Amino acid sequence: MLIGHLRDPNNQVVVVKGLRISVTGVNTRSPNSGEVRKLLSQAVSGCQPPEGLPANVITAGDYDLNISDRSVKASVPWYSDWKEMLTQLSSSKYYTATTPWFEAYRENFLQSMPASDHEFLNHYLACMLVVSSREAVPTEQFLKLSQEQHRIQHSGEYTYPKWFIPNTLKYYVLLHDISDGDEQRADSVYEDMKQRYGTQGCYLLKINSRTGAAGPDEQMPDPWSQYLQKTNIHSPYEEGVLNNVENNISSEVDGLDLSDVVSEIHPLKLEQSADPGFPGNPSKAVNSADTARTQKQGSVTPGAAPTAHGACLTLNDHDRIRQFIQEFTFRGLLPHIEKNIRQLNDQLVSRKGLSRSLFSATKKWFGGGKVPEKSIAELKNTAGLLYPPEAPELQIRKMADLCFLVQHYELAYSCYHTAKKDFLSDQAMLYAAGSLEMAAVSAFLQSGAPRPYPAHYMETAIQTYRDVCKNMVLAERCALLSAEVLKSQAKYSDAATLLIKMTSEDSDLRSALLLEQAAHCFINMRSPMVRKFAFHMILSGHRYSKAGQKRHALRCYCQAMQVYKGKGWTLAEDHINFTIGRQSFTLRQPENAVAAFRHILINDSKQTATQQSAFLREYLYVYKSLSQPSNEGSLPQLPLPCVHSAQTRVFFGHEPRLAEGEKQAATHVWLDQEFDQEQAQLWAELEEQVVAVANRGSVHISFQPTQYCLSSHTENLRYPFAVVEEPMFVEVVFRNPLKVPLVLSDLSLLWKFTTKDFSKPQGGTTGETITNEKEAAAGKATALNDIISTEVIPEFTVGLEETKVARLKLLPHKTGELHVLGIVYNLGTREEDNSASEASQLMFVRGRQDLEIQGPRLNVTKEEKTSVRHGPDRRLDPIITPPMPLLEVFFINFPTGLLCGEIRKAWVEFVNVSAVPLAGLRVASTHPEFFTFGSATADLTPVTPTAAEHCSAYKTMVTPPSDAAVTLVSPAAFGITGDNRPTVVEIPLTGGVLGPGEALQIPLWLRGPDREGVHEISFLFYYEGLEKNAKLGHRVLRHKAVICASRSLSVRATACRSNTLPGRGKRDEREEERSGSMLVFVDVENINTSEAGVREFHIVQVSSSSRQWRLHKCINPAGDKDSKLASRERGKLCFRATRCRTQEATSDALEKYTFADLNLGNEQIVSSTTPCADFFFRRGPPSEPRKGGVITVGGLLRRQSLTPANSTDDSMTSIVRKCSEVELDIIVLWKAYVVEDNKQLILEGQLHVALQTIGKEACSLSQKEEAQEMVLLKFKPDLPPPASRPSLEQLSHLIKTCLHYPESYDHPFPQKSLCMVPVTLTLSNCSLAQVDVIIDLRHKTTSPESLEVHGSFTWLGQTQYKLQLRPQEVHGLSLKACFFQAGVYNLGTPRVFAKLAQSGTMCETSQQSAMPALIIINSV
Amino acid sequence: MAVCVAVIAKENYPLYIRSVPSQSELKFHYTVHTSLDVVEEKISTAGKAMAEQRELYLGLLYPTEDYKVYGYVTNSKVKFVIVVDSSNTSLRDNEIRSMFRKLHNSFTDVMCNPFYNPGDPIQSRAFDSMVSAMMVQSS
Repeated sequence: MLIGHLRDPNNQVVVVKGLRISVTGVNTRSPNSGEVRKLLSQAVSGCQPPEGLPANVITAGDYDLNISDRSVKASVPWYSDWKEMLTQLSSSKYYTATTPWFEAYRENFLQSMPASDHEFLNHYLACMLVVSSREAVPTEQFLKLSQEQHRIQHSGEYTYPKWFIPNTLKYYVLLHDISDGDEQRADSVYEDMKQRYGTQGCYLLKINSRTGAAGPDEQMPDPWSQYLQKTNIHSPYEEGVLNNVENNISSEVDGLDLSDVVSEIHPLKLEQSADPGFPGNPSKAVNSADTARTQKQGSVTPGAAPTAHGACLTLNDHDRIRQFIQEFTFRGLLPHIEKNIRQLNDQLVSRKGLSRSLFSATKKWFGGGKVPEKSIAELKNTAGLLYPPEAPELQIRKMADLCFLVQHYELAYSCYHTAKKDFLSDQAMLYAAGSLEMAAVSAFLQSGAPRPYPAHYMETAIQTYRDVCKNMVLAERCALLSAEVLKSQAKYSDAATLLIKMTSEDSDLRSALLLEQAAHCFINMRSPMVRKFAFHMILSGHRYSKAGQKRHALRCYCQAMQVYKGKGWTLAEDHINFTIGRQSFTLRQPENAVAAFRHILINDSKQTATQQSAFLREYLYVYKSLSQPSNEGSLPQLPLPCVHSAQTRVFFGHEPRLAEGEKQAATHVWLDQEFDQEQAQLWAELEEQVVAVANRGSVHISFQPTQYCLSSHTENLRYPFAVVEEPMFVEVVFRNPLKVPLVLSDLSLLWKFTTKDFSKPQGGTTGETITNEKEAAAGKATALNDIISTEVIPEFTVGLEETKVARLKLLPHKTGELHVLGIVYNLGTREEDNSASEASQLMFVRGRQDLEIQGPRLNVTKEEKTSVRHGPDRRLDPIITPPMPLLEVFFINFPTGLLCGEIRKAWVEFVNVSAVPLAGLRVASTHPEFFTFGSATADLTPVTPTAAEHCSAYKTMVTPPSDAAVTLVSPAAFGITGDNRPTVVEIPLTGGVLGPGEALQIPLWLRGPDREGVHEISFLFYYEGLEKNAKLGHRVLRHKAVICASRSLSVRATACRSNTLPGRGKRDEREEERSGSMLVFVDVENINTSEAGVREFHIVQVSSSSRQWRLHKCINPAGDKDSKLASRERGKLCFRATRCRTQEATSDALEKYTFADLNLGNEQIVSSTTPCADFFFRRGPPSEPRKGGVITVGGLLRRQSLTPANSTDDSMTSIVRKCSEVELDIIVLWKAYVVEDNKQLILEGQLHVALQTIGKEACSLSQKEEAQEMVLLKFKPDLPPPASRPSLEQLSHLIKTCLHYPESYDHPFPQKSLCMVPVTLTLSNCSLAQVDVIIDLRHKTTSPESLEVHGSFTWLGQTQYKLQLRPQEVHGLSLKACFFQAGVYNLGTPRVFAKLAQSGTMCETSQQSAMPALIIINSV
Repeated sequence: MAVCVAVIAKENYPLYIRSVPSQSELKFHYTVHTSLDVVEEKISTAGKAMAEQRELYLGLLYPTEDYKVYGYVTNSKVKFVIVVDSSNTSLRDNEIRSMFRKLHNSFTDVMCNPFYNPGDPIQSRAFDSMVSAMMVQSS
């Protein structure tokens, strides 16, 4: 770096560093305002943020702003009078918030400032006179040029250019082309010049300007490239002098660190100009330049190729030019300036003494009480004041400017300050403002800063320029300077205010730039004001777009977007996005435009419907124009409508068929069914049961219930299985967030498929992967239908703000692995008016959306718990397996309503609709008692359903009512083993196989549930293929039937011990009597509420089924055969039951059930066959209530009583209980006459009653559970009852007593006053243990009932007997009763006490007294 | 009186914005959003000194050409912003204060509603009518 020296008037050395000189042609004219505008606009638009630079992230609060365009400010060479200041600024420790385009603007703006009269900063200091060495007489030319310059400056013909000092420095340069000139001649001319002008006033510059200095391979840097652009504006005027200008510029370039101040070169001899304003009228300049041109033909031809500028210069030439400039500066310019400063200073000092004081004194006298500082309103009048160029007031200003230029800021400041005072006192406001401005700048630039920066100077200056002088250009210049200064002092807030104030309506470009700078100031504040930044960026963007700077506008909006994005300010966000979209589109960045529009549409916008439809149309338009050129390649992702991927459901299988007449298809599974966790659990349990049965009791560990419908509720960790040639449906949930309906057309699925042959071992062979993405993009979704048929939905409308599902079908034709990728469709919108229907047809775009489903969050291992991990979700990736059988089940005549216990015959049809045979058909159900397919023994004559329509479901025989017909049946014949009710039933198939396409129709009996109400009955049909499929072991089919059961009959039954005596009647009967007999009372009530149109019920038959007992005889009173029961009627039937004779026959007979039928009509229903016996064996467990707290307690008790501690008591208890236990099931078969649609129907049914204990009533209906009382929660276990002894009631059944006596006895009382009658008391031990019995014959005197007046008689003989009876022993005891007179007596007075022989402690219990035994004593 | 009333959540997203000439809604959104910078500045400077005794009313945030923007911050950092027409010179500081107090009371009522989920946009009808009463008076 070269440093110049200078002595100031006080002989202090001033160091001048980093000077630059600006060289222009003398006839260069400042452009007019229109041109300036254009130039500035070009400068700004030409300067764009660099692409791909690392982002400059500013963190402000919760915002991270990415501002990539803030590149370093001083990178652009600074080329004006203000450069020094700004070089200093660039080294400032503060980051000046600025942008390259702003700097470019400022540079150009300052450069284009016209030189004005009130200041000297743009005036010319020196003039270079250049003459070529080829000129015939160079010295003469110099003389001419010199005269010309003098004429231009002093003749007053030209207002431009403006000259700094009257005697301008003239510097004579002889230009010599080395390649083509007489060097000696040039040297001699130079010697001559030296003598004439002195060595300091002239120079010989030798450069090469004719031939290319560098070889074609050598790349020489273009020395002026940086500057030429800036001088372009001058080119119209300097064409003629271009060579010189260029060379001079070059010197300036090369001597970057050199020099000083404006120097003026005026190489041309200009003719008298017609234009008094400018010395260089272009046309004349050309003419006059002819000589110059001929002189310098070796120079580069101007304007030919801008890139070739300076190409002829060699490196040596560069050095020479640099040297030349140095020489010029140090020898010529600086001394010249120094001299002038001294002169000016001397003038001023000499004037100071008297004029200063005099001046102000006269002012005071003449100005009256005028204060120097005037209010602005007054000052206006004097704003136009002009000083003559040589006015003494201007001299001080001139000196200040000179000092400023040579960087003597201190002196400059004091001069400016003085000038300011003078101007103010003269009220020359323009001059004063200029001085204020420059005073502030020099104060700022003063190193060491002895005084604070006078910020108010600037403010006043700006205000004055703007308001008083109405000079916006100067005001702007001042504001720009001020803003820079404020920024460098970190007064960003002030800078921002200043900049915002300067925005105005007259220039959009300026306003935009200033607003942007203000925005940058906001963000650079100590606590960054992000929102203000954003807001001003938006304002700036708006102004940019008005100024036609689209790229800048877009950039501003994008930056503001960072602040507004995702913060809930949707209205603003939408607006910005919309603008970004439009701007991007006009700038041919359709991708960005699409992204921006996409944002508007995706968000739940609060815009109105019309706005939204406008957005949508714009989006579609932009999108279409984007996608049209690139039709091939992958489809773009569409933003609308929203797809709820997680709610996607997948269904494997056919669409359900509708019921065809009486044929009703199994409900199975379909997408319409809502997912129900309980139901799913139930089906899974059923399936597990049936699989367990099919695999002989074991379920594989990896058993998984079959899932036909996959949703977010199901577990989707495994790849689901789909069967080849069976369709699968994907249900996609769309949501339209807009208030405008959306139309999707040609909607189909996208998939990827890998063929695999699973029939081969080792997982089969993998084929290539095929996808339909390309075909779908081209709109030919059906192109790959030979592999997988893809259904296309032609049109699908999603209404405004609607959520809607679309079901899309795929039909795979090959085995392999399928992946459903997404959906493809045309997105369009519906136009309201039909007139524009054609246009609307065009208004759609094709695109896709992917279906990506995130699996459930994993939560097993610690790692998974501490982090957020999601498992896979494979519901869209099914494996297509080889063919499997497919069953369809139809129900024929399947009722929806039944009476409780009603038996109905229906038909079920199994159809194998696949091409593969089917086997192992089973059914599991939640209600196995509801249906039966008949027993194995039943003849399954395939009667068609229609033929059997009017027949009874039962098998009947014509038999007159008589004694019971008895049949012995083993439960195994009905598929019952053990006590468990079977839930899984195997369905017999002919040959065990249902061939492809075959159908099987079998009867199905149904029995109405015992409880009224609506019952849901689930059937699960299980089947498998003949050959084992590795992937899919079995398949299931679900059916859910809903049955409404209404009330029919209520049957109550009681069993009583019969008191009939043995020894009467026939022999065999006596035998039966010996083994025990009972009376069974059956109480039947019609509880039908006749809603179903039931007229009456008939009891057709009563059957019994038991292992030990059977009904023997109906002992109803004769004449009561008619067992009709109208509504609410009640009938009572009485039967005798006996023990089965075959009881001890064989061991396996123990397990056999005896069925005894007692028909009341003429038709016997064979109850031991299908379906009666089936339902009997399938009946629910005995009507013991199953639920409830009370029962649990009972169960607890029983369990406690079985503890070994009281084993004796236990055995006793059981003995006692046993003697009152019966196990007899009564089946009541009935017919109901129903009138329906004027037709009489006969319904049949059966009800079961299980008798368990003698004397205890049993009921067919499980009692309606009484409103269950709240059971108190007990936290202490119940105390066991003190003794678990049998209750008194039970004990009183140990002994059955019976009195045998003649019913009437004739006795001649007159003859014999005492009548003695023999009576036999038969005692029968019911229990299986020894019993001690005490018979007490004494009359109970205490009992009031025995106090009959005349009914007294006496027992003769022993009054008390003690007996011991063996188990089941029958003992007769002969007694004698003695009567005194005729009459009717009750003989049943003996009291019998019994106790079990083993239990000594227990006292005897009074046995149940027999029925009254009346005897008639007749007196003869 | 007011031309725009806004309630802004602690996290600086709008809970409620209502403005009178609905066509310039966007402008008010921008104005309110920008005013948050000033609110934050005021809180951070005043808040540290006396966090407890800080006055909720922040006063005039900044004047624009046509409007004056006033701010108010609850203790839970929920901001209320009221924009008033600049031409309405009759409006005193005290009246603005009472408007904010009314707004705060009504907002408290909204928050007390057990069915209101804090952080959701305010849709209370009572609040709405209170705000419109504030705004209707001007026109």
